[in-house]
Amino acid sequence: MRLTVNKLAKAYGYLWALRDLNLDLPPGEFVALLGPNGAGKTTLLRLLAGLIPPTGGAIQYDGIELAGNNPRLRKQIGFLAPADHLYESLTVKENLRFFTSLYRLNNTPGAIGTALEAVSLAPRADEFVSNLSSGMKCRLSIAKWQLLQPGLLLLDEPYGVLDGGGVDLLENFLQAHRAQGHIVVMASHHVSRALKLCSRAVILHQGRLCFDEAKQHPWPSFARAFSEFLPHGESWSS
Amino acid sequence: MEFLSQTYLLLHKDVRLELRRRESLLTMFFFGTLLLFVFHFSFDLVPEKIAEMAPGLLWLAFLFTGTLGLAQLFQAERENHCLDALLLAPLDRGALFLAKTCFNLLLMVLVELVIMPLFWVLFDWRAWNLLPQLFLVTLLGTVGFCVLGTIMSAITLRARARELLLPLVLFPLMVPVILATIRCMENIVRAGELGDAWPWLRLLLGFDVIFTTLGILIFDWVIES
Repeated sequence: MRLTVNKLAKAYGYLWALRDLNLDLPPGEFVALLGPNGAGKTTLLRLLAGLIPPTGGAIQYDGIELAGNNPRLRKQIGFLAPADHLYESLTVKENLRFFTSLYRLNNTPGAIGTALEAVSLAPRADEFVSNLSSGMKCRLSIAKWQLLQPGLLLLDEPYGVLDGGGVDLLENFLQAHRAQGHIVVMASHHVSRALKLCSRAVILHQGRLCFDEAKQHPWPSFARAFSEFLPHGESWSS
Repeated sequence: MEFLSQTYLLLHKDVRLELRRRESLLTMFFFGTLLLFVFHFSFDLVPEKIAEMAPGLLWLAFLFTGTLGLAQLFQAERENHCLDALLLAPLDRGALFLAKTCFNLLLMVLVELVIMPLFWVLFDWRAWNLLPQLFLVTLLGTVGFCVLGTIMSAITLRARARELLLPLVLFPLMVPVILATIRCMENIVRAGELGDAWPWLRLLLGFDVIFTTLGILIFDWVIES
């Protein structure tokens, strides 16, 4: 899957959240989406997921425009929101069964069990999601997208709720996902963690794309952009 | 086939959630029963008057209890942004509309199955033989209410004070359904059969068919905007 974004713009009333954004992501790309609060990261992720319509511009997946409800295209787009998109009054197993059925996957109970074991949630398979901590919900979301295997996986601040083990689990999953030729776009304020995994970094500032480069060692241009656009970000060194 | 299996999957999920939470059904039962008691104590009706007022009073109770159910219809999807999860999925949005309508219809029919006999008992109305016919007409009216209610509930989903907005938007549009159902019920009560209320019944059927089809076709646009 190849993702092409052309002159993408989004306005909320009179406020431009994103303007003139161009991106071209080939299969297997891992993008670290960086920027201060209000830069437009979440808006971009929601646009790429087709959850909100753009004010201008176009998003294409393999040349097919993301407009209206195209089930075949939607099956290829995943959005990992750490503790969201799960039904609280369904059990862990029921949530996975519901979503895999919705995505028309004929998963055997064994596949769901294996996915739960991979995220250390197998002992809690029959518990209600409302009883899980935010970190565990995030692990469940990882299991969900591990089963659904989307061609493009979007992540919005996944590190906030995870413990050390959870972070390792997420990073292993993302690396494996990318290795299969899928695109990953991760918005995060954990710059060093995001840079460790990514193949490309994109910085948004006040709704505009102000940095977009493939990863290099060393990376002086990123260091300059980092000090200019992310002055209050965590320390980072190439 | 795919459409129906998606509808079943979503409906099954909603029924399961309701069986666990029991929020909508219990609230609707209590509110509907409460309304009947209020009517009972407010109107001291003689048997002749009951026949005249029964259709209106019953529909008043159905409308108010139904609106309570509609306000809760997308509650599970509002929590944890589950609506986004559904919109992300390769799902026919018409199936989502149909599942929500069927779920709402199921709740309302269950409530009506309790409220209607209770009305007969409370008002000591002896016309038990009319109950099946009145229930069938009520069912057609309820379908119209649920279909339009689901569309309006989705339109007001992201609005502030949606619980206040929903009846304001819904009730004026419900006038044809309410009018047609009450006219049909009045005729049944008066003559024991539909008689000259057939045009009203046809209107009711037409409303149900048109708005169900419309809902399936436009729900994609409704839920995204």
